[in-house]
Amino acid sequence: MSQEFWLFILMVGVFAAGCFALKWPVSVSMLVASVAGALAGGVQDPVRHLVEGTFGYVDTILTIATAMMFMTGFKDSGALEALTAAVIKKFNKWPGILMILLTFVIMVPGMITGSSTASVLTAGAVVAPMFASMGMTAVESGALISIAAILGMIAPPVNIPAMLIGGGIDMPYVGFELPLILLTFPLAIVFALWFGWRKVRHVDRSKVLASLDFSTLNQYGGWRLFSPLILIFVLMILDKAVPSIFGLGMPLIFMLCTMLTWITGKRFNLLQSAKKSIEDVLPVLGILVGVGMFIQIMTATGVRGFIVVNALSVPPALLYVMIAISIPLFGAISAFGSSSVLGVPFMLALLSQDQIIAAASLSLIAAIGDFMPPTALAAIFAAKVVGLEKYGTVLKKLVVPTLIIIVYAILFIVFSKQIRAVL
Amino acid sequence: MFYIYLVILAAVLALTVWVLFDTKKFSLQMTAAMVIVPLLLRLLMIK
Repeated sequence: MSQEFWLFILMVGVFAAGCFALKWPVSVSMLVASVAGALAGGVQDPVRHLVEGTFGYVDTILTIATAMMFMTGFKDSGALEALTAAVIKKFNKWPGILMILLTFVIMVPGMITGSSTASVLTAGAVVAPMFASMGMTAVESGALISIAAILGMIAPPVNIPAMLIGGGIDMPYVGFELPLILLTFPLAIVFALWFGWRKVRHVDRSKVLASLDFSTLNQYGGWRLFSPLILIFVLMILDKAVPSIFGLGMPLIFMLCTMLTWITGKRFNLLQSAKKSIEDVLPVLGILVGVGMFIQIMTATGVRGFIVVNALSVPPALLYVMIAISIPLFGAISAFGSSSVLGVPFMLALLSQDQIIAAASLSLIAAIGDFMPPTALAAIFAAKVVGLEKYGTVLKKLVVPTLIIIVYAILFIVFSKQIRAVL
Repeated sequence: MFYIYLVILAAVLALTVWVLFDTKKFSLQMTAAMVIVPLLLRLLMIK
């Protein structure tokens, strides 16, 4: 076995020991694993490499941080609760459509921030009591919230795993919208009906309607309350359509709309809200910093090249099996890390396919990593918001959906050229 | 636009430093410290 192989085992081993045995945060475990790899691999000037690695995702960190500020402000202004109430009021008589729209509501924060945690902690927390009052069990609610969160994380406009995979092969994050919509929204509809519709259609929803608080919606009106969210989508479209005039960039768009939430709904302490958002999202930001260091050291020691060479030499028959197994499993470390460390080499092996559809599909498989213990970010936070002590029961419910998502994504890769011909 | 970007960066950095000193959780303090490093260096335009 080569030195790179043993270095890889060492780094993953130190990381796993930090996470499992010592119960360190994922980010700190990554830092320690990177230090161990740098020392064992004889990297010259290791501190410089570690610091250099932290810069890998600074722009992504800014986008996620400001997006989370917006989502927390949107929630604190009462708009998120009002949005859910408005959806239930409007579609109360059609349980199927209601469940689908509530699932889309959970997806929105993930779509904007690129983080499943944001979806679960903001919209997931608001929708969870409503799922319970509509007759869904805590386990079913937790499972649906987890799935909606990871689908939101992959749905456009912001998909960090796709950005990481694209960054690894110098492919700009352009033209991903339609493939990502086709990859995520049909699955969201299927799982919304699967988990929710069967239960909800038998429940007397008039009680749910009576329990909703419409005071904020009535006081401020829908247009005013939801205007920051509408403005975000308008500015994002203009940012892409006329970048010379509206090229504001995502962080500035989120900051402007965060300030707007302060005047469009209930008044709240903007500073405390912003601080709370950073506190909630720090573990995700830390993981990004850790992944940056981890990958920098893997690159400096030759471990990354070793993985790329091995991924490229996998026989074609085994390639899809390897993708389906290794990318989600590596997600136990981090879905973002999995995208970068394994997603890029597999993307290189798939260059003969339509590259945008292949990268989008790989990002969906990588997102499954958020279901993988011990980190299992989506499942752990979803279990918390539905009031479950342990997330194991939620994970069991996620086994079949996970397999369906992986098969769906693999089919997209296999038939990427045919799909592109239709798009 | 460059200076607006720096202002946003400074705001995120300030909030992260606030969390670092306000939280009692050691794990969150460690994570905050890790996040501060690239933000501070970028703000100072060292990297």
